[in-house]
Amino acid sequence: MNKDLLNILSNSSKDIDNQQLMDYLSGKLSEDEKHQVEMQLANNDFMNDAVEGLENVKDKKDINLFVEQLNRDLHKKLLRKKHKKQKRKLPQQRWVYAAIILILALLIATWLMIVKYHALKLK
Amino acid sequence: MHPDRYQHISDTALLENFYADKDNLWLGILLQRYTMLLLGVCMKYLKNEEDAKDSVQQVFLKAIAELHKYKVAYFKSWIYMVAKNHCLMKLRDRQGKAPAMLNEQTLAVEEEPLSAQSHLDKDRMLDAMSLAIEELNNEQKQCVTLFYLDKKSYTQIAEMTGYSMMQVKSYIQNGKRNLKIVVERIIKQK
Repeated sequence: MNKDLLNILSNSSKDIDNQQLMDYLSGKLSEDEKHQVEMQLANNDFMNDAVEGLENVKDKKDINLFVEQLNRDLHKKLLRKKHKKQKRKLPQQRWVYAAIILILALLIATWLMIVKYHALKLK
Repeated sequence: MHPDRYQHISDTALLENFYADKDNLWLGILLQRYTMLLLGVCMKYLKNEEDAKDSVQQVFLKAIAELHKYKVAYFKSWIYMVAKNHCLMKLRDRQGKAPAMLNEQTLAVEEEPLSAQSHLDKDRMLDAMSLAIEELNNEQKQCVTLFYLDKKSYTQIAEMTGYSMMQVKSYIQNGKRNLKIVVERIIKQK
């Protein structure tokens, strides 16, 4: 009995890296390597949908360009969000510092007044 | 962002880092891992390169916003669901039809392999599989056998059988699904 029968329902799913995926799409893999990738595709709907979609890209060389462009845009967006967050934080922090200084000033003034009051009383 | 530097960190660990310090850097690294797959999914549904690129950007924005709001346990399944739903919405806008939406629960938990569910020993499982494979229709049986047992690629199977690549894929997928159903039935009967 063929023990590979058990692999059919095993659902073991390793991740395929982008380079391997590109090699698969460009037809650079041997039949054996192709079969390995396809075994993962058969177990993974996300990967399978992605490959079916990428096969529709007219020029396969464009895929990497599109990915780089999308990653650059993502990076820019995340940086912009970070700067906005920091800018929002700064004014808030200023108010906190001002409040601390004011409370300290009031405490010192109260302490000085108490000391002065006691000194006058002693006289 | 140099994704290679963070290759050793798992998706879950990246998410945990993000939830700990809310630094978007972690989300950037995580999302970049899936850019190509997301582009592929969007291309599959929208069949237009510009629309697909646009949609990936929108999926990124949605993911960033949602991940700030709640915790996600299975990132890969979740981001696939977000992308697929986004494309289905776009198609609905185009065609004026309401597609069936996916929810996180349907995708969150990876399907458990049958052998683990039933705790059967290997020999009994093999017996059930051998019987089940005989119950498939000829096309499915032929493609499943060539793919899983003879380890042929889709192209080789298409050449050997005369079916198109799409047919080969579909016979394998449907064959696998039917096998599972038949095996479950055989196991219950025993």
